Amino acid sequence: MTEHRSNTPQSPLHEILDVLIPANRDRRIPAAGELGVAAFVTEAAARNPALNSALVTLLSRAGELADGITPHTVRQLESELPDAFRLLLRETYKGYYSRPDMRAKVGVGSHPAHPAGYEVPSESPALLNELTAPVRARGPVFRDPTGDQK
Amino acid sequence: MNHDPVDVLIIGAGASGAAIAWSLLETRMRILCLEQGDHLPDIDFPSRREDYELARYAEFSCDPNVRGLRQDYPINADDSCITPVNWNGVGGSTINFLGHWPRMRPSDFRTRSLDGVGEDWPVDYHDLVPFYDMNDRNTGVSGLGGNPAYPNYTPPHPPIPMGKLGQTLARGFNEKGWHWWPSDVAILSEHDDGRQKCVNAGTCDLGCAAGAKGGTNFTYWPMLENAGVELRTKARVREILVDEDSGFATGVLYHGADGQVQEQKAELVIMACNGVGTPRLLLNSKSKLFPEGLANRSGKVGKNLMFHPLTGVAGVFDEPMKGHEGPMACSILSQEFYESDPGRGFVRGYGLHSGRSTTPMTYALGGYGIDNPIPWGAEHREIMDNVYPYLAGLTVVTEDLPEEHNCVTLDPDLTDSDGIPAPKITYRLGENTRAMLKHGEARAEEVLLAAGAKRVLPKGDKVWWRAGWHQMGTCRMGIDPETSVVNGWGRSHDVKNLFIVDGSIFVTAGAVNPTSTIQALALYVGDQIKTNIATLFD
Repeated sequence: MTEHRSNTPQSPLHEILDVLIPANRDRRIPAAGELGVAAFVTEAAARNPALNSALVTLLSRAGELADGITPHTVRQLESELPDAFRLLLRETYKGYYSRPDMRAKVGVGSHPAHPAGYEVPSESPALLNELTAPVRARGPVFRDPTGDQK
Repeated sequence: MNHDPVDVLIIGAGASGAAIAWSLLETRMRILCLEQGDHLPDIDFPSRREDYELARYAEFSCDPNVRGLRQDYPINADDSCITPVNWNGVGGSTINFLGHWPRMRPSDFRTRSLDGVGEDWPVDYHDLVPFYDMNDRNTGVSGLGGNPAYPNYTPPHPPIPMGKLGQTLARGFNEKGWHWWPSDVAILSEHDDGRQKCVNAGTCDLGCAAGAKGGTNFTYWPMLENAGVELRTKARVREILVDEDSGFATGVLYHGADGQVQEQKAELVIMACNGVGTPRLLLNSKSKLFPEGLANRSGKVGKNLMFHPLTGVAGVFDEPMKGHEGPMACSILSQEFYESDPGRGFVRGYGLHSGRSTTPMTYALGGYGIDNPIPWGAEHREIMDNVYPYLAGLTVVTEDLPEEHNCVTLDPDLTDSDGIPAPKITYRLGENTRAMLKHGEARAEEVLLAAGAKRVLPKGDKVWWRAGWHQMGTCRMGIDPETSVVNGWGRSHDVKNLFIVDGSIFVTAGAVNPTSTIQALALYVGDQIKTNIATLFD
């Protein structure tokens, strides 16, 4: 499992990530920066020059914004630097949702790794029979141009 | 390494290469298969890792241009709205396919006679039925018999669970009075022959570590290697050689793991590289006899490329749909709109497939096969918390018609790591397909609402980019050497000891996932080779 260590708290990147994926306090779901996704992003940038360049450009521009990091200024970054922003957004989503604990928190279970899985009961023959009855009642719904030749 | 001549040389260890090797086992001929990739032990499948979703966007992407692994060849898809996807290695794309297993229907083999489009196949549904059945047993197919969309047959294993999502959608179809049926799947619903039944983890595209999915890495290849078929991996074929006097194929040149070129002679060459790889190799096999590429006197090699263009529609329900529980692509399939109806404004038809849900990362990044991330910020939180768990969707899978301008050629500049020219895809959607997609989206929306969706999400206006799983038609079968590449049993019209058994020999595409038909055809060709063995090269 990839562990995302907490990056410098309240760094500009941390703050941007918190805006990209905000927290849901009611459900105790942390925001992306809070979760430590900045470490994931910076590690990915170290391996990916295009992402690294995007990150440098975005953070540089973010530092120039007088209002600090807010949804409005992040929207401004997206508007001014769309390609770089898109790279950061993708990496943020990857870092956040590759955490099994985050997958579980969005209410769909964590998609367990093999050999674990989910117990899903098979439909009983009676239920299958009931559900398919209207379909069977209509009869064949195919054309068979060569069937009578065989 | 032993380079003695072999009787049968198969190029490609995917779905069709494995099936025909199995068919030819009983001949006791010496069979060698060359595969550009390697074995991938199931212990290495990303589905065993906690961060498995990351692999979907890196080394286990379905897109070879994203993976960029040693065994992959790049594909130039700049002039296409769909990019081909695959896996290169033992098992081929059955390693990362989703296991949906519908058969083609009888009308699919007679589109010219019935609907005035495409061409009729030189074989028909009933020719293939024994081979569909044989392959279903070898693969381990689950499903429910009695589907009124087909002449009667029953898969060897009971259906996998439809789950809450499938049952909900089924009731929607019933409300509309439209056809649907539990999907036939190459996924085990019960333990079979040492393979574990599906554990419903939902990570089918990242290698099924349970062995429930019927990839040929789990089905045919263990059997074949035990029986003495030689599988030579990391062996990338560069060119098929031909004797200038006889016009017969004599073997191949291939690059071994060290990149060095080797020659392998063979009496019979069988191509199983699918709808992009096979024309690429033929076009790269030029000689005085075949200056436009081997077996290409018709000029049809690489032409008539067909995919199955897709789009999806999703509805938001009041309760969680639990779409993450179960195989990711297969629950139920409607073929209500499969056959032609003049009133619809297009010919032929499409299927409505119930995908289950993608994993959270994939959904956030735009969905499977799509690169279009969902919104960020407060809207992101709202979608992931209050929409995503409640989704159920339908995928519109359309029949593509053969059109010559859709094609595979050789890129003049791009090459793989051995310097072999890469394929270039030229492809655009036909007007018929566009009309089908539009019709299908509207019908999918009707079903979702009938099933209880409180709203349907806005639809995009593009087909899925990474939808090029099904690559068909580029070396099509036919009785006329002027308009087809191989005859009715897969033998090249031009080179009498060269056979093709993959999706490239499809004449039309149908509107169903093609792997069961690819393998049934391969078994059929194998049977014809055995039947005609005394006069095989006449």
